Amino acid sequence: MKSTEGFANFIITSERIIKMAAISFWRNRWLSLATTLIIILTLLIISVFTFLALLVNKTTVSMREKVDLVVYLRDSDSEDQISALSDLISSRPEVKSISYISKEEALSRWRTRYATDQNLQDIINENDNPLPRSLEVKTKNPEEIGQVADFLQSEDYAPLITRLSYQQNKDMIDRLVKITSFVKKIGSGLSVLFLIISILVVYNAIKLTIIARSDELAIMRLVGATDAYVRMPFVLEGVMYGIVAAVISSVTIVISYRILTPVFVNYLDIGYDVGAFMRTSLWEVVIIQLLIALLLGIFCSFWATRQHLKK
Amino acid sequence: MIEFQHVTKKYPGNIIAVDDVSFKIGKGEFVALVGPSGAGKSTLIKILIREELPSSGRILVADRDIFQLKEKELPYYRRKVGVIYQDFKLLAKKTIEENVAFALEVASVVPGVIKKRVDEMLTLVGLENRANALSEELSGGEKQRVSIARALVHEPKLLIADEPTGNLDPVNSWEIVELLFKINKQGTIVLLATHDKEIVDAIHKRVVMMKQGKIVDDREDGKYIL
Repeated sequence: MKSTEGFANFIITSERIIKMAAISFWRNRWLSLATTLIIILTLLIISVFTFLALLVNKTTVSMREKVDLVVYLRDSDSEDQISALSDLISSRPEVKSISYISKEEALSRWRTRYATDQNLQDIINENDNPLPRSLEVKTKNPEEIGQVADFLQSEDYAPLITRLSYQQNKDMIDRLVKITSFVKKIGSGLSVLFLIISILVVYNAIKLTIIARSDELAIMRLVGATDAYVRMPFVLEGVMYGIVAAVISSVTIVISYRILTPVFVNYLDIGYDVGAFMRTSLWEVVIIQLLIALLLGIFCSFWATRQHLKK
Repeated sequence: MIEFQHVTKKYPGNIIAVDDVSFKIGKGEFVALVGPSGAGKSTLIKILIREELPSSGRILVADRDIFQLKEKELPYYRRKVGVIYQDFKLLAKKTIEENVAFALEVASVVPGVIKKRVDEMLTLVGLENRANALSEELSGGEKQRVSIARALVHEPKLLIADEPTGNLDPVNSWEIVELLFKINKQGTIVLLATHDKEIVDAIHKRVVMMKQGKIVDDREDGKYIL
């Protein structure tokens, strides 16, 4: 009996507190709007940069996964020569794997890659296939590509090989690493700046509500309201700012995601499923947003009410 | 029931608002705490409801040292001590009923009980027919009666009245004093702080006289000696 009574009291108290918070949110709707907008802006900045960092990072990882070294062979090389060269390369300790790409395989890759471009499709066909055969080499360590390449560039093997492609990948990875660190720096700088602005704005909004209602609060304490009872409406108000902002920001992000995914998928030819990656990250970003917004609201309201309750 | 033991309150700048005050209030007593403005009456009341802590001394209420109360226990202590003020401290935009109910709402009382208690209190103070009037529309005397109803809604053992008639005309003042008598007769201790000589001289109750923070006189059926 006692515990059901306790529960009923809890429900009634919660109802009263939620009502008070909602009324306060609505009464100061312009202030609430400005406060919410600042949180939305902050969340969007954090999300966009988190997302960019994840994307660049993922691309770097995917680049590292890619074939490290491609050895393009001359059309005049015999099968025996190629087989001997392949054995020689795979016997080196740095090499993790090696695979042979025939002219047909190269052609089919070309077709897949340029599936949407008829002009490029038409340039090459089975009867007139200028694409060279190649050996794709993966090393155990990206740093060891250079050693394998140097070995292949020695005079003994040079006649068999038209071109080695490894420098481009390495440059690309180096560039991506630089971009990642740049995005992270700018992103965390801006995020921290806007978080601080948000904290101050939310704190200020709650403080203003407290000042506007200071008579009522004094009376509440006078008639024996507990600190928690006095504080909860403000905490809820802070949480409401957070939730409303997180919802609006999430909707914005979902919409942008729908618009931007096809663009990314078309223009970022980076060898993994960008669409799937964006879908997974989307939920992560939405959840992170909600958490940040809630923490922001709770932190600010506790901070703002702390001084008042100290009296 | 209530015992002040050597209570002293100093403010920065060596201002002594309350100076070594000791006296007892027994069960069911009606005590007038009198003295000119600045004598220390309000400070003593603030200390009694623990809005302020004394510089030294103790106050025992029902044998409990109220300065030992934890922050958490304070709201519950305040519910057992009703206070009314010169400026009423009502919520202007709320009705009489809502103002009284407010004190129960903050204490997580269920709506059915609130309704019943509020009705009882409004009947006690004679405002049962004006329950839905906004408090800003009331006369000073009515406002003070609402604040008494609110102070009593938790059934406190002690009602502190800090200059309750300070803003009222003589007729309304007497109505309030009569109401305080009625409440006292029902068993509640009443501590009436006032500097209204006319009232003090007419009520024939115990008078505790303060001057410059000290108690200078304490007698049954006392008079306000200037």
